[in-house]
Amino acid sequence: MTTDPEHAIDVENLTKRYGDLLAVNDISFHVRTGEVFAFLGPNGAGKTTTVEIIETIRTPTSGKVCLLGMDVTTRKRDIVPRIGVLPQGFSSFDRITVRETIQYYARLFSRRNIDVDGLIELANLKDKSQEQFKNLSGGLKQRLGIAIALVNDPEVVFLDEPTTGLDPRARREVWDVLLSLKKNGKTVFLTTHYMEEAELLADTVAIISKGKIVAMGSPDELIERNANYLVLTVKTSDGTPLDIIRRLGFEPVHDKHKNIKVRVEHPDDIQRILNALKDAGASSLSLDVRKPNLEAVFLKLTGEALREGSVEGVPE
Amino acid sequence: MSRRVIGANLVVSLKTFSREKSVMFFTVAFPIILVLVFGTIFLNQDNVSFDLSVQDLDQTNSSARLVKTLELNGKFKITTIGPAIDARRYAQDKKVNLVLVIPSGYEKAFVRRLGLVGGVPNAAFGDPNASVTVTYIYDGGASSTSTKIQILRSGFAVVNQGMSGRPPFIREAETSMLTAKYRFIEFFVPGIIAMSVMTSSLSGAVNMNAELRQKGVIRKLSTTPITRTDWILSNILYQFILAVLCTMAILVVSYAVFSVRLQVNAWLLVFIVLEVFAFGGIGMILTRVASEAESATAAANFIMFPMMFLSGSFFPLEMMPGFLQTIARILPLYYVNEGLRASMIFVDHTAALRYSAIIGVFAIVVFVLGINTTRWDEGK
Repeated sequence: MTTDPEHAIDVENLTKRYGDLLAVNDISFHVRTGEVFAFLGPNGAGKTTTVEIIETIRTPTSGKVCLLGMDVTTRKRDIVPRIGVLPQGFSSFDRITVRETIQYYARLFSRRNIDVDGLIELANLKDKSQEQFKNLSGGLKQRLGIAIALVNDPEVVFLDEPTTGLDPRARREVWDVLLSLKKNGKTVFLTTHYMEEAELLADTVAIISKGKIVAMGSPDELIERNANYLVLTVKTSDGTPLDIIRRLGFEPVHDKHKNIKVRVEHPDDIQRILNALKDAGASSLSLDVRKPNLEAVFLKLTGEALREGSVEGVPE
Repeated sequence: MSRRVIGANLVVSLKTFSREKSVMFFTVAFPIILVLVFGTIFLNQDNVSFDLSVQDLDQTNSSARLVKTLELNGKFKITTIGPAIDARRYAQDKKVNLVLVIPSGYEKAFVRRLGLVGGVPNAAFGDPNASVTVTYIYDGGASSTSTKIQILRSGFAVVNQGMSGRPPFIREAETSMLTAKYRFIEFFVPGIIAMSVMTSSLSGAVNMNAELRQKGVIRKLSTTPITRTDWILSNILYQFILAVLCTMAILVVSYAVFSVRLQVNAWLLVFIVLEVFAFGGIGMILTRVASEAESATAAANFIMFPMMFLSGSFFPLEMMPGFLQTIARILPLYYVNEGLRASMIFVDHTAALRYSAIIGVFAIVVFVLGINTTRWDEGK
């Protein structure tokens, strides 16, 4: 396999088996230097297994994985100082403060003059720098984990489900930190099962399901390719809009709020539907047009939801 | 091996220790409380009364007067033993910790020394070298014995002062019923040291392997340059520092409160090092078998508690039935207990060497096994 200097990570025919379970099934992909690459998939899809193989803490059953041009199975010692990792379910020493924890990890990497304050600022932890780890909330712990992943000024940063288990506000605060990381031009390998996260942060998204990559590309490309339609939501109090729309040749459905959802291929169709409704005398009309998101792409490609209850009835 | 990395780990461990009050309590305060409580219980028991058994082999007026004098001066409650009885046997059977034996010929020597003529002392006829030797048959394990002997001595000193001439009239000889001359507290303290080093090493190993792994700290560490060797060495070093700290605290309290007569020499350090490796190794093996933090802690307790009671930490092995003594001899803690006592109480270097060799071989075996069973990365 050729290692392209433009590629931070090269994975070729990677397979990982745990006994009878095929966790990763012959996948190949590459991550370009400087991009944010997201592995999007539900729990148990093989995201963490893949990322831990690339991080050198698991061994592959077969296939070849190169990180910064080095084989991960033989060059652990050379690779480790050049990567930063936020492992899944990150945790640290309970009684050690934020500042001390960063200093501790800096010493493990034998970094003398690291900018502890800069990292604390980046992770937005200034008020909490003297707080012990056990007293931090979930979001603060994750932000500290991200700061620690950066102590050795790594060339590639791995973030394994950085926002799982956080409430929406804490998630947004972590995203703020990740966006400033992206601005700094680091190569980031992100795994997530939140499509908003992938859409917001990633340059390239690989959708993984049951150990296989089912689609890969930028979020826009993926949507363009797999869900090139619009969803029109109509809310009206009178008339028989369902029948009217149906007569135009569409397949409208009621969602759980009694709104009508229609999938349309072309923006002109929206005008046609609206005119037909107006002619029929429908009043107090409110409407909403949406492009489908990665969630819909995922659903279409795999037939399963990313998370339980995450998909609202989108007409097919 | 990186000194910088080990140093960083030590800082984190010691900070955690100093901030975790319950750990501090169980590591340092708990053994000290044990020493204070048990030391006081047995000290008081020894002090309840000053019983003194006297065997008068002379059976004369003079010897009877001496007994009377001792009774009055020393405030002893005196029990007399018939001259035909084997005093040593008697002491053992009746659990008497001190028998004073007045030899036959006491009155004759008394008369010769004073040169008594018709009941009146006459220095011209006195033999200044005439003397008698009283014998103490005693149990060195009882702490009141030495106090009683002190009181008896001052009584004899009064008698001797009343005699002219240099050599004392009443001389003393000692016969110990037990080979060891130590008090309960002196027996107890080495056992407590061995126990607390065991508990802190074992629970330290469980913490590092099971709890930190379960929390995911080890997974994070395995993505940094720290090696498994550095990690294990840091932890062993930390356990050793804790063990020394704890031992010092126990010794200081024991010296200050009970004035124990224990010798602190290089063997103490040798046994602490070996014990830290032995129980650190056991802990590592244990966490491989029981990898969940709770089950590992339970397994550690399952090993520690029987070991504490069966290996003679708190009371002499002789008090236990024979089959339990056999069990004790296969427990590693037994050899630490015996080794510490050999060096601290009896200052018996040969015995200390023998015990350290046994525990040393054991420590090497379990520690090597422990290192090899400790997982560092996420496995195959």
